[in-house]
Amino acid sequence: MKINLVRTTVKIPSYQSDPDLDELRDAQPPDSGGRAELAVSDERRSFLGLLTGLIGAGISGVLGITLGRFSIAPALSASNASEWIDVAPLAEIPEGKPTNRSLVVSQNAGWGHFSSDQSVWVVKKAEQLTVFSSVCPHLGCTITENAGGFGCVCHNSAWNGAGEKLSGPAPRGMDTLEHKVESNVVRVRYQNFKQGVAEKSVAS
Amino acid sequence: MIRPFSIVNKTYAWLDERTGIKRLVRRTLDEPIRGGARWSYVFGSALLLLFVIQALTGIFLTMYYVPSADHAHVSVAYIQKAVPGGALIRGLHYYGASGMVLLLIAHLTQTFVFGAYKKKRELLWIVGGVLFLLTLCFAFTGQLLPWDQEAYFGTKVGTSIAGEIPVVGHLQQRIILGGPDITSSTLSRFFMAHVFLLPLALGFLVLLHVYLFRHAGAAGPFDNREHRADRFYPKQLFKDSFFFLLVFVALVTVATLMPAALGPQAKPGSDFLARPAWYFLPLFQLLKYFPGRLTLIPTLLLPGFLFTLLFLLPFFDRRHERHPLRRPVATTALALVLIGSGSLVFLAKYQDKTNPEYNAKLQHQEELARIFLKAQFRPQEVGASAVRASSSAAGSLNSNAEPPKEFLATCALCHGDNGEGNDLGPPLQGVTAKPNRTRDDLLRILDNPPAYGLKDPMPVSFPDLSADDKRLIVDWLINLNKQDSPSLGE
Repeated sequence: MKINLVRTTVKIPSYQSDPDLDELRDAQPPDSGGRAELAVSDERRSFLGLLTGLIGAGISGVLGITLGRFSIAPALSASNASEWIDVAPLAEIPEGKPTNRSLVVSQNAGWGHFSSDQSVWVVKKAEQLTVFSSVCPHLGCTITENAGGFGCVCHNSAWNGAGEKLSGPAPRGMDTLEHKVESNVVRVRYQNFKQGVAEKSVAS
Repeated sequence: MIRPFSIVNKTYAWLDERTGIKRLVRRTLDEPIRGGARWSYVFGSALLLLFVIQALTGIFLTMYYVPSADHAHVSVAYIQKAVPGGALIRGLHYYGASGMVLLLIAHLTQTFVFGAYKKKRELLWIVGGVLFLLTLCFAFTGQLLPWDQEAYFGTKVGTSIAGEIPVVGHLQQRIILGGPDITSSTLSRFFMAHVFLLPLALGFLVLLHVYLFRHAGAAGPFDNREHRADRFYPKQLFKDSFFFLLVFVALVTVATLMPAALGPQAKPGSDFLARPAWYFLPLFQLLKYFPGRLTLIPTLLLPGFLFTLLFLLPFFDRRHERHPLRRPVATTALALVLIGSGSLVFLAKYQDKTNPEYNAKLQHQEELARIFLKAQFRPQEVGASAVRASSSAAGSLNSNAEPPKEFLATCALCHGDNGEGNDLGPPLQGVTAKPNRTRDDLLRILDNPPAYGLKDPMPVSFPDLSADDKRLIVDWLINLNKQDSPSLGE
C-alpha cells in the first residue's frame, strides 16, 4: 500500500469573526481527488478507524451476547412436566364411556408459578384405565367426544374410542398421559407433546 | 488506490445509488472540527451512546418486567436473581442513569467553560437544557418501577414535594400519582412515562440537538489561536469511542462488583428512611435549611431560578468573548453552583453518617436489602395455586384476628403480614412452642433482642413501640400457635 505523507491539519484563514465552515465541510477528501491541503494521512486514518471499529465491535459483542442470553436462556430452561395431579376418584369413572375431567396444572413461568385449567379424557375399559390429553397432536385444538369416539373440530381429525387415528390431518393417535391410581384416586402427570409429527415425543 | 471490487463495494454502490448513503456518511464523518480533535469534546457523543445503551437495556428489561403493584417487585427480583445476564443488564441500566447525569454535568460544564452557547448556538443550548430536565424525569420515573421500599418511599417524598407548590400543587400531585396516593395506578403512569413518553420526547430532542450542532458547526477552542481543523473521522471519532469504552467498562465493572440495589417489596405502612439518588441530594440537603413555608425556596424557587438562568444565558451574555478567564462573572457563577452542589451532596452524606440514629437505620435498611438480594429467587404463586397457598397459610392461623397495625409497620417486612416468614426473617407461627419463647419471653425480646441472642437483621431495640404496642403484638403472636403440617408443597 502506498502511504501518503501529508499533513494531518489544514490551514484556514481566521476565526476572529464568526467564520462559515461550509467551505471546509464541502471540501473533498484526497481519495476523491479533492484539494491536497485537506488531506489526512491514509495510514493514520485506517489505523484509528480500525481501533474505533474494534471498540464498537467489542461493546456491541458484549451487549449482544448478554441480551441474547437474557432473552433466550429462560425460554430454554422452563420445564414441561407437571407434578402428579389428582384427576378424579376411580369410582367416578364409568366403564366404557369417555369422561372429560378438567384439572389445574401449575407451571413455573418466569417470575411466577402459574395455574391453568387443562382437560383430559379418562377411559376405563375392562378395568384398563387410559388418560388422554385433549390437545390435538395436529395443531393443538381441543379434542371433543363424537359418535365414533373422539374428534377435533378444527380440521376434522377423528379417533376411535381407544384413541387410534381414523381420519383427518392429525399425524398420530391421541396422546396418552402417564397416570397411576393411588388410594383409589386417579392421578396424572400432565405434559405437552410435539405437534405435527408421527411419533409422540415430549415437547421441549 | 486500486481495491479489489468486492461484493461489499458492489452492494455499497447499489445502496448508494438508491439512498445517497455515501454522501450522508461523508458528511457525517468529514465534519470539520475547528481547532482539531480534543478530549474535552467527548462528552456529547458519550451521552448519545449511553442513551442508546439505556434504551437497549430498558427495552429488554420489559421482556420480564410487569408494571403492576402485585408483580413489579417479584418480576424485578426475577430479572436480578434468576435470569442469566439479568443482573448485568439491570445493573447497566441502573448505574447508567447515574452515568447519564454525570456525563450531562461534564457536557454542560465543558460547553459553558468554552462559551459554546453564544450567538448562533442559543437554540442548541436551550434544547440541551430541556434534555437535562428530561433526563432527571427519566431518573425520577424509573426509580419507582422496582417497587421496593426505596422506590416507594423515594417517590412518596418526591411527589409530596410536587404537592407543596401553592395553588396547583395538590392537583398536580393527584395527576402525577393518578389518585390521592401511590398505588398500582401510579406505577402504570410512571411506567408509561418512563418507557414511552420520555424516550419519544428525548429521542426527538436528541435528533434536534445533533442537527442544530451540525448546522452551527463545532465552536472550537475558546482562545482562537489554533488555526487548524481536523475532520470528525478519524481522530475525534476515535477519541469519542475510546472515552465511551472507558464509560462502558466502568459501568460493567460497577454493575458486576456492586449489583444494582433491590430491597424487600414496598410496605406502605412501614417506617423507612428514604434518601434520594445522589443527584437529588443538593435539593434534599437544602430542605433541611428551609423549614415550614420556606420549603418553597429549595423545592421550587431556587431550581426554577437556576434553570431560567440557564435557559436565558445566551440571551444576556452576548459578548463574543469566550475565554473563561475573561468571563469572570459567568465562570464564578458556574464554579459556585458546582462547588455548592458538591458540598451539599457531601454534607447530606456526612450528616447521615455522623447521626448515630440515622446511620444505624440506614445501615439496617442496607443490611435487609443485602439479605433479600442474596436469598434465592422464589416465584410468586399466581391463579388457582395462589388461592391454594393462601388458604393453607390462613388455615394455619388459629385466630380470625387481623394482625395489629403495629405488627404490620414494624415486624411484617421480615416476618410476613401473617407471621409466615420470608427471605428476611423466620416464620413466627407456633413460636411459643419453641424454647424460651413464652409470652413473657416474647415481651422481653421486644425490649432487648440481643439479650436473647438475636442478631442482625433483628433490630437491637424498638424505640417506636410502646409497652402497649408490644403487648398487642405478642398477644396476637401467641394466637398464631397452631402451625399446620406443611400442606403447601404436597
